[in-house]
Amino acid sequence: MTLVPINLTVNGERHAVAVEARKLLSDVLREDLHLTGTHVGCEHGACGACTVLLDGQAVRSCLLFAIQLDRSEITTVEGLAGGDGTLNRFQAAMQECHGLQCGFCTPGVVVSMTAYLADHDQPDDEDLRVALSGNLCRCTGYQGIVNAARLSSRGAAVAGGRPGSGPTA
Amino acid sequence: MKPRAFQYHAPESVGEAVGLLEAHGDDAKVLAGGQSLVPMLNLRLTSFEHLVDLNRIAGLGTIERSSGTVRVGAVVRQAAAERSPDVAVGAPLLARALPHIGHFQIRNRGTVGGSIAHADPASELPAVALALDATLEVSGPAGVRIIAADEFFLSTWETAIGDGEILISVDFPSWGGRCGFAVEEIARRHGDFALAGAAVGVGLDEDLRVVRCAIGLFGVGSTPVRAHDAEVALTGGASIGEAAALAAADIDPPGDVHATAMYRKEVAAVVVRRALAAAIEEACL
Amino acid sequence: MSTTTGTSSHSAAGRYVGQRVARIEDPRLLTGHGRYVDDIQLPGMLHAAFVRSPVARGRITRIETKAAAALPGVRAVLTGSDINPRVHQFWHSMLGPPPEMGGQTPYPPVRPLAHGDVRFVGDPIVIIVAESRYVAEDAAELIEVDIDPGTPVLGYDAGTNPILVHPEMASGTNVSEAVPMPDVPEVEAMFATAPHVVTRTFRQARATNVPMEPRGIVVHYNRFAGDMQIWAATQSVSEVKSSAARLTGLPEPRVRAIANDVGGGFGQKMMLSRDEAAVILAAHLIGDRPVKWVEDRQENLTAANQARQEAVEVTMAVDAAGTILGAKVHFFEDVGAFPSGTGSSASMAMGVFPGPYRFPVVLPASTAVFTNTVGKQAYRGPWMMETVAREQMMDHVAREIGMDPLEFRRRNILSADEFPYTNCMTLVYENVTPSETMQQALEMLDVEAFRAEQAAARAEGRLLGMGLGVYLEPSAIAFGMLSSDLAVLQMDPTGRVIISMSTGNHGHSLETTIPQIVADTLGCDIADVVLIQGDTATSPTGPGTGGSRSAVIAGGAAQTASMRLREKIVQIAAHLLEASPEDMEVNASVVSVRGTPSKAVPFAQVASVAHMAPDSLPPDMECGLEVTARFRPPGMFTWSNAAHACTVEVDRETGMVKILRYIVSEDCGKMINPMVVEGQIAGGVVQGIGGVLYEHFAYDGEGNPLTTTFLDYLVPSAAEIPDIEIGHIETMSASLGGYKGMGEGGAIVSPPTVANAIHDAVAHLGVHPTDFPLGPSQIRDLLRAVAT
Ligand SMILES: Cc1cc2nc3c(=O)[nH]c(=O)nc-3n(C[C@H](O)[C@H](O)[C@H](O)COP(=O)(O)OP(=O)(O)OC[C@H]3O[C@@H](n4cnc5c(N)ncnc54)[C@H](O)[C@@H]3O)c2cc1C
Ligand code: FES
Ligand code: FES
Repeated sequence: MTLVPINLTVNGERHAVAVEARKLLSDVLREDLHLTGTHVGCEHGACGACTVLLDGQAVRSCLLFAIQLDRSEITTVEGLAGGDGTLNRFQAAMQECHGLQCGFCTPGVVVSMTAYLADHDQPDDEDLRVALSGNLCRCTGYQGIVNAARLSSRGAAVAGGRPGSGPTA
Repeated sequence: MKPRAFQYHAPESVGEAVGLLEAHGDDAKVLAGGQSLVPMLNLRLTSFEHLVDLNRIAGLGTIERSSGTVRVGAVVRQAAAERSPDVAVGAPLLARALPHIGHFQIRNRGTVGGSIAHADPASELPAVALALDATLEVSGPAGVRIIAADEFFLSTWETAIGDGEILISVDFPSWGGRCGFAVEEIARRHGDFALAGAAVGVGLDEDLRVVRCAIGLFGVGSTPVRAHDAEVALTGGASIGEAAALAAADIDPPGDVHATAMYRKEVAAVVVRRALAAAIEEACL
Repeated sequence: MSTTTGTSSHSAAGRYVGQRVARIEDPRLLTGHGRYVDDIQLPGMLHAAFVRSPVARGRITRIETKAAAALPGVRAVLTGSDINPRVHQFWHSMLGPPPEMGGQTPYPPVRPLAHGDVRFVGDPIVIIVAESRYVAEDAAELIEVDIDPGTPVLGYDAGTNPILVHPEMASGTNVSEAVPMPDVPEVEAMFATAPHVVTRTFRQARATNVPMEPRGIVVHYNRFAGDMQIWAATQSVSEVKSSAARLTGLPEPRVRAIANDVGGGFGQKMMLSRDEAAVILAAHLIGDRPVKWVEDRQENLTAANQARQEAVEVTMAVDAAGTILGAKVHFFEDVGAFPSGTGSSASMAMGVFPGPYRFPVVLPASTAVFTNTVGKQAYRGPWMMETVAREQMMDHVAREIGMDPLEFRRRNILSADEFPYTNCMTLVYENVTPSETMQQALEMLDVEAFRAEQAAARAEGRLLGMGLGVYLEPSAIAFGMLSSDLAVLQMDPTGRVIISMSTGNHGHSLETTIPQIVADTLGCDIADVVLIQGDTATSPTGPGTGGSRSAVIAGGAAQTASMRLREKIVQIAAHLLEASPEDMEVNASVVSVRGTPSKAVPFAQVASVAHMAPDSLPPDMECGLEVTARFRPPGMFTWSNAAHACTVEVDRETGMVKILRYIVSEDCGKMINPMVVEGQIAGGVVQGIGGVLYEHFAYDGEGNPLTTTFLDYLVPSAAEIPDIEIGHIETMSASLGGYKGMGEGGAIVSPPTVANAIHDAVAHLGVHPTDFPLGPSQIRDLLRAVAT
């Protein structure tokens, strides 16, 4: 087994690590850099739990070899909240709208939507649901996540209702 | 689900990459966006002793528009092509097809060249290349070759790219005059590979008669399929329904757990009809 | 839309309970700081992988492991002959021991690894333990297993197949459990003379729970200390502890099981699986280094137990006016090779089959068969085939007798004045509102407006349909070990409380809802309450989380413990203030004399006295501030209920179904946190939608699985799902606090609701679907069959 030294900047911090060529970025982040917020749910690109930002773009970390990324900038879910733990706009909306239950898909959802909402002004419901289609969630039925995306992008969740609720509220 | 071991190479020029492929023969494989190759490696459905990563080669990532074509470098990310004004203007059919590929995270990494070189028969871009009569530039030990799209797709995951060769760029011809384009597909969920799909372009004359037509089908066989008979029929005055029926007449799609062969055949006609209708409507605007 | 009926004298005060309290667990989970089993890294930790059977049935003729064992980094290569003899006992607490140990449950043969033969594709044959999962997988590929393949046993008729899945079982058949149809001449006579008798068979598609976090376990056996520590993705740490002790023969107190955050379970993580048992035994054998196994998605899809391979044949008799006279129901289950226990959920399904309708009689029967496929286990509403069959049957019968399905339901549904009601299977329903929820759902839908829209669409050749589903959910199932739960409540000297329970965190929000109850009952700030769960060393033994039990039973225990603690706090405060306990009131962690706010002591002072100044306590009072309370709900079931309605458009040409609206009216009693209730509903509904339209774990005729990745096993994404609109009715249960469980209902009734909507869209064409999945290809098959 040959280890190759690489440099990765993750969440603004530079790391020098030695990796086997075949080691997936998801595994290097989790095992070598102890950033276990990046979750692994399928390792074939389908579930989205492992999504990270590579040079600002949301990508699957299970479909990248860390060795490809020497001198790249990566942001993981751990890098999104403020240094004092203040949640970013979408994270805060997720809490307000109950966009997570078990929390396993959540890092991928948060990374993906933080990037998506930064790039898209005023997406409509259809846009939001399509944007979310690359992140599978087995718990929430997506209602809370969609509401969080609405709240975070439009400042209001659902016409005539509060986030997370149906016609009750 | 971890890949077998391999040696990693990150050449910085096409020549260097071709040299590596030549040196390692069948033991080497090109890695572009990795959105098709890496899942197969992780599942250990395939493996190679050497991976030759194209991502550090300068010059393969540009989009150039000239009067007659849009040239898309092989490692242009699908997301970059989707956002490109040159693609939108010069190759609208490509622009229409791109959002159907997987999800935005997949397109952020997946490449236009990778999708075409991978030649999955259910993929959108090979059908677009075929419909538009794209030409593909490959570079190999014997130099550069230009391959026409209709000679490029040989079978499932098999193309005319030869030993030691790399796809360098794809030229998508631009259409002039009054024209319209559409992609219609039926997929189980958003972002899934299509059960059947059609990428079509139509050109109209002053009297709004169809004088030019291109139909590429995907998901209906072992390669993307060009529906020549339907194209001829439509420009010869047939209705879109008749053309659609012709397009589906000769295909012999596979059946699997998601859809029977008969379903695919039936629905191929539906997507062609809907795509033609949408393209004609656009051209009439 | 919301109404509240009934009262409960025990209802907790309302500062937190009933409010949309933001979840306490969220900040860590949103920022990537949850702790899931795969996040555990221990010094010297090894990684496991399995070699699994590629064929459904066959004899193992050779296993060659030398090359694998010689691979650098491989620590152990173990086969069935190494692992299986090490099993002391292997059974599940909830099902009890096997007959040879005095129990009732006839388990399939006990063998963590295959031995001599293989019985389904995915059957684990060899476990490899190595320095990394990469190396373990490399080693797995070096192992040669020769298998002489045999004809697999497949299908619901396996009971008549002379080839046996488990030849060593005493029964000598592939029938795992069966109940014959009772022979009741009066009922037969009724069927013979009934104006309408309709028979249909409804089939579900095999589905799997697929929690987004696959199964996983880390086991560290310290053979020098003689103890074992386990981190597991489980719904019940107590069960992991007990199972590991039984497997290894270690005394239970020597085993500690921990589950921090768990990425969903839905029944798949209730009982210890064979794979996990093999990991425990391998770690026990290796003895000094921790072993981690986290399955990959392909293992999860092919080797973790599944559900829903079920068919139900219903024959229903109805009189001329559309009143139900009775039904005969036969449940068929394919429980695979290694189900949890017998794998059958038919006994429960029989009891609740009548649902919210007046059925004078139901004759039930069931047949569960072993096959050479992956085993069956609980999946959100394990008995739900009864609702799937009944609610579709309501529509089929109505159409057959020429009545609107809505009218047919109205005619037969139980109304408010009939409760308590004993159904024909002797179950007693009370505090439920089936008619009211149905009415609310229909109002939210606006049936008239929809029918107009449907007619207009039909005139254009478009197919719209609406479907309805109504059910009663037997929540908080309370028998045997599931009957009760324990809460241990301790107030520390600063006046803050820790509550320890057997529950766990896999998405149910208990870390927030239990403190809501405790804070309201005690009269303190929620920030002063911390729930400790998921660790057998610090929380009590109990059944964990599942069966929609936590709100009622864990909630009841938390509330009881809080009431007791409050009583003690008040007594101490009264003593300190030289007042009578009856005159005290509690507000914001301060105990004061009613009407005299100046005479007050804060919790911190009471707590400090209780812990530090025993002599200042009332005479005879024990010092300290801790209580335990075990809660057992008053009924075997605490019923909740709901009605779902949905509208769809079916694309006639492509068979694609688009859900236009999805509506739920739910009565789960007192809602502790409406946001959490709505989250549970939406999650369940989408799983149910998946089971009709997208998800199908398919096998071919040789028993080979066909949908082994997420590209083929189709979990619905946000793009396929509409907004879930929710209305509430709150009718208090008879249990403490008025709570009812509701975790499973969304997944129980959504499948027939969607199916009924599709049926409504195509019935006028002569299409009457009965089988899932209803994917586009299947719908086209149905439409094509009637096209002329
Ligand atoms: C969840 C998911 C959903 C997807 N959905 C779709 C979909 O709906 N439609 C669709 O079309 N695709 C889909 N894809 C695949 C995606 O589009 C891939 O990006 C694409 O098929 C391959 O491009 P790539 O750049 O990622 O190539 P890679 O994966 O790197 O390579 C693919 C193959 O092409 C070869 N190759 C790549 N580039 C070159 C080159 N320049 N010269 C020679 N050979 C080359 C490689 O050697 C390899 O054999 C999906 C993928 C995932 C993970
Ligand atoms: S783990 Fe990468 S997409 Fe599922
Ligand atoms: S919150 Fe559990 S998978 Fe999304």
